[in-house]
Parts: sequence; C-alpha cells; structure tokens
Amino acid sequence: MKSQFVKSRYEANEAVQFNVLSDNQCEEIFHSAMEVLRRTGSKVYDPDSRDLLKKGGAFVDGEVVKFPSALIEWAVRTAPSRVVLCDRNGKAKLFLEGKNVYFGPGPSNNFVLDPFTGERREPTTEDTVRAAKCCDYLPNIDYAMDMGTVRNVNLTLSDVYSFEALLTNTTKPIVHWGFDIPQYQDILEMCIAVAGSLEELQKNPFIAMYSEPLPPLRHSREAIAKAVFVAEKGLPLIYTPCTMAGATTPATMAGTIVLQVAESLVGLVAAQLKREGTPFIMGGLISIMDMSSTILSYGAPELALLSAGMSNVAQYMKIPVFSTGGCTDAKTLDAQAAIQGAMSILMAAQSGASLVHDCGYIEYGSTSSTEMLVMDDEIIGMVKRIMRGVEVNDETLAVDVIDSVGPGGHFLRTQHTRNYFKKETWYPSLIDRKVYEGWRAEGNKTMGARIKEKTQMIINEHNPEKLPEATLNSIKAIIQRAEQREAAQV
Amino acid sequence: MSILDEIAQGVIEGEATKVADLTKKALDTGVPPLDIINNGLVLGMGKVGEMFKTGEMFLPEVIFSGDALYAGVGLVKPLLTDGSMPSKGTAVIGTIKGDLHDIGKNLVGMMLESSGFTVVNLGADVSPESFVQAAKDNNADIIGCSAMLTTTMILMPDVIKLLESEGLRNKVKVMIGGAPLSPEYAAKIGADSYAPDSTTAVEVANELV
Repeated sequence: MKSQFVKSRYEANEAVQFNVLSDNQCEEIFHSAMEVLRRTGSKVYDPDSRDLLKKGGAFVDGEVVKFPSALIEWAVRTAPSRVVLCDRNGKAKLFLEGKNVYFGPGPSNNFVLDPFTGERREPTTEDTVRAAKCCDYLPNIDYAMDMGTVRNVNLTLSDVYSFEALLTNTTKPIVHWGFDIPQYQDILEMCIAVAGSLEELQKNPFIAMYSEPLPPLRHSREAIAKAVFVAEKGLPLIYTPCTMAGATTPATMAGTIVLQVAESLVGLVAAQLKREGTPFIMGGLISIMDMSSTILSYGAPELALLSAGMSNVAQYMKIPVFSTGGCTDAKTLDAQAAIQGAMSILMAAQSGASLVHDCGYIEYGSTSSTEMLVMDDEIIGMVKRIMRGVEVNDETLAVDVIDSVGPGGHFLRTQHTRNYFKKETWYPSLIDRKVYEGWRAEGNKTMGARIKEKTQMIINEHNPEKLPEATLNSIKAIIQRAEQREAAQV
Repeated sequence: MSILDEIAQGVIEGEATKVADLTKKALDTGVPPLDIINNGLVLGMGKVGEMFKTGEMFLPEVIFSGDALYAGVGLVKPLLTDGSMPSKGTAVIGTIKGDLHDIGKNLVGMMLESSGFTVVNLGADVSPESFVQAAKDNNADIIGCSAMLTTTMILMPDVIKLLESEGLRNKVKVMIGGAPLSPEYAAKIGADSYAPDSTTAVEVANELV
C-alpha cells in the first residue's frame, strides 16, 4: 500500500536512465583530458586558429598548441548547457539539455543499399532525397542527415548538393557538414534564404554544422577553421572526433574517453574564443578497432559502452553530446543488424545522449540503408516507451479498480483501462504481434519484407512540405554561383 | 448528420449515455424501432468490427462500443413485438472442466454479443454435462468451448459425444478455441470449427448459424 507520507522514491523514481561513470570518475576523466592538453597538447594546422588560441592564453610552439586548464575550464563554463534546434519553419523541436535524447541518421557514406533493387552502389542526389523523405516521415527520427556523399554531381560540391536535397525535402532540423569554408558559405546562404536573415537563423536555428578532428591530437586546417567559422556565425556547432580504441586511442575504455574528450575540448576552446557562448555539442563516434578485420566497429558492445561513458562526462561538463546508435557492421538488413541496432539505441537512450546519430548505417558505416533507418524508427519507438518508465501515483496504483473487479473478473470493461491502455502501451507499426493465422493471412511476411514495403511506400508516396517557389529559386542561384566559383578554380 | 448516423457514431465512440439519449430522442420523434436498431445501432457496431480488424480500434474501445450498443438496444427492445428483435442466434460458451483460464473465452463472449448473438456465458471449469444441459435449456445454436491446457482440452470430445447421445448434434454446432488448439484438433475430435481469436470467432459463428 502507498505510504501516507511522501518518500523520496515517489518524487524521483521515473528514471530508467543509468550512469556508466560516477561523478568522481567523470571528474577524473575530465581532469585527465585537461592534463593531456596541458602536457602533450594538440597539433593545430590552421594558422588563424592557432593565433586565436594564442590570444586566448594557449601556448603555441610551431603547430603544437598546449592548453592551460584555466582556459579550458573557462570555455566549458562559457558554452551553454542547452542547445535548441528548430524545424525549417523556426519552431523549436529539439531541446538538447539534461538527459533528453533525439535520434537521427548519419552523413557521408561511400555507398547506399538501394531499397528497391537491393544493390550496393555509389550514392546520388536522388538517394539524399530518399533519405530526407524517410527522415521527414518517420515519427521517431528527429532530425535529418545526408546518408551518403553523392557522386552524380561536381565532386567538390557534393556537400552543397546533398544539403539542397535535405533542405528542400524535409522540415526537420538538419545536421550537416561541408568540405571547406566556401561550401560552408554556400550552405549558410541557403539557410539564410529560408530563414530570411542570419539573425533569424541564429534565433531559431534549424541547422547544426559539424566537423571532425583527426585523432590522436591533430586538428586539420579545414576541421578547426570550419568550427571557428560556425562559431563566428553564432550557429550550433558539433565537433566530433571519431576514435578507434587500440588504434587512434589507448585500448582501455577510460583512456579512449579521455582522448575523445580532449579532442572535443580543442574545438570548444577555439569556438568560445571566437564567439563567447557559441552553442556547442561535443562528440562523437567512439568505438574499437576490430584487431582481426581492422574495421572501426559500428556495432561493438564497446561502442555503446564508450558512448554512454562519453555522454556521462558531457553531462558532468553540462555540454550536450553527439552520440551514436542504431548502426551495424552487418552488410545487409539481417538479424545481426537488428541486434546491434537495438542494443546501441537502448544504451544511448538510457545514458541520456542528446543527439544520437548514425541510425541507418550498415557495413561499419561504409554503406547507408533507408531500410535500416525504418527499422531503427521502430526500435526507437520501443525504447522511448521504456524511457517513459513506470508512473506511480494513486491513480496508476489502481487499488480501487482492482477491488471493484475482484477475483476472477477482468479489467477490459473498466473505465480505468479505457483511460490508460493507449497511454501506457506502445503499439508497433512493423513488429508483428498478430495471431498465427493473422500473420499467415497477410502472406507470412518476415520483418525484413515488411520493412522493405514500408520504406518503398515512404519513398513513393510521402510528400514533404515544399518551400516557396521564390526560396527554391534563391537556392538554385546559390548553387549556380558555387558552380561558377569551382569552375574558375580549375 | 441524421439522428441514425449520430446513434451509429455514438456506438463507434463507445458513449453509452449519448447513445441512450439519442435513442430516446429518435423514439420520441417517431423513428421506427427496427430502423433505430438496423440503421443506427447495429450499423455503428458493424463499423466498429471492421475498424478492430484493420487495427484502427482497440479491444477496450470495442467493448465500450458494445456497451453503448446495448444501452440503445435496451430501450428499443421492449417496444418490439415478440420475435421481431433481431438476434443472430444463441451461443452457450465456457471454459472446459479443470481449467480456470477465461479471459479469452470472455472476450469471445463480448465480441459475439456485440455482433448480435445472444450469449450464455457459463464461466470456467464447466463439465461436458453442464454445456449440453445449458444448450438444451437455452435452445442454443452454438456451443463455444475453450481450453488453455493440453490436460483439459482432452475433455472436449466428451461434449460432442454427449451431444450425439442426446440427439442434439445436428442442431447444435460446436466451435472450439484456446492456445493449445488448432484446426487440425477441431477436425480430429469432430468439432464444427476452430477460431484463433475473438474476431475470427465472430466470423466463424456467423458461418455456423
């Protein structure tokens, strides 16, 4: 029976989250990352960024930059503890704060698995349109990414063309990347064409831009310059190293998280020095090198564990995090894909990772699959139900209802059941829970067959909200200018 | 929307009070009682059945729709001359002797009732003798026999044998259901039909009468 008095567990028992690391362990990892940057430092290949860091108080010796801990702690304090991302219409959608979790696909795969032909081939802009449509349609996919570097266009503008495909085919927030500053400028102009002005875009950003350093402890000219560019424009920035335990970081989990955090901190300090208060999201992909095949695993249990640990440290630092889930090393949409996708999604949700990416990745990230994305959407639905936890109060304890039904009765006819069964229960759109005969009647379809049907239906039938004609023309003109610029350079 | 459409809509929404009020209003304004039943109440319930099958409605909603249906039927029924109240037939249902599992059997009962059958629910732990006696007493068209256990389903043939020895086998159809059962088992023991779930049970019953 319920206690007469309020107990602590009645105030705070809705959490299904877990922590991989205690606050003390998070502090040790954060301190170790600062010590790495103080003692070893990082190579920063962009002279402008080095100047910026030097003016901020870092020690520069050639290309190596070493960071006083006070500078890092200042940057951590200066970055906001929450970042809000909006949809294309400026409506706030993603609140990256606390232990909120949002899911989306990933970028820049070398191949796509065609959901119609089953062929593994190079991506085209049509594939980005398909990816955008799927992201737009699927209720548990919260933002869009390109799911492949397109090959049917001028290759130095692949990033610009795929951004156009995303921007014109979904209203959901977009996380994107670019080769270098000129392309970032193109992408920014397209965003301004939609938002109306840079200030409107800053107020209600529908884009977060990311770049990647090169672990261990190297920051390429473009990577750090792009981060500083995004900071200068006052837009949300993701700085996301991609680390492989045993190869580009130590083989130990703790050492890998230390280096992962250290890599992000360099981007954080540069961004905050450029513009204090830049919305910053630390990353990113953290897993192991498989010492047998030499791949960077996208489905290893360590990916889920390391990501959860990194998320805990980010929460300790009060900085939103770019994490990973819903991906696999499998080459096709098979049982392995389902196992690896489900486990990493559940772990990411329970660890409170803010922005989970790489749903829809197969073949250790080399290939993207809209079918995998559709399956992940269903998995996320299940996981979101688990994350809602068990609500405990007089009404949900239902002692009066139990009494009124009595031994041997049933609850199907009670108003209580009518009020709660939908709210308390998740219903699938792809998972089969029919009786055997019902399943037979619909043609004995496997999960894979149902996923394929749904994916094809979305691509064939979903019509995302269109941009106004004038905006579309502005976007086309921006691409034309970009083409002229690239042609002039050859 | 005509008042009959509103009644049908009330049944779909599972709003018993609303359906009762509308039914009274329809009767007061001179709508023929049989019209209210066929083109309002039963029409609405038919749509509920379709929507349950396609996954647009869920079980508790169907049950509330059934209750709303009967809130209307209860008001109209006394006004009909004897025998004109439409009923698809009478089904005697129960869980077989030794077995207390009854949630599935109760579901079948509610669904049969909602679709227009008269249902006599004997409860759980029902002996073959009680099934047959109740069928006689209620002039039943169907016996619906449920079992959850392989140890209790083996009593089902006794119901059929007893019907035969009483000379009732031609008059009373037997349908069976429950987790360990199958169409093959139904054929083996000489039952008329098997249903895997409550929706199918209604379809099967419709075919049997």
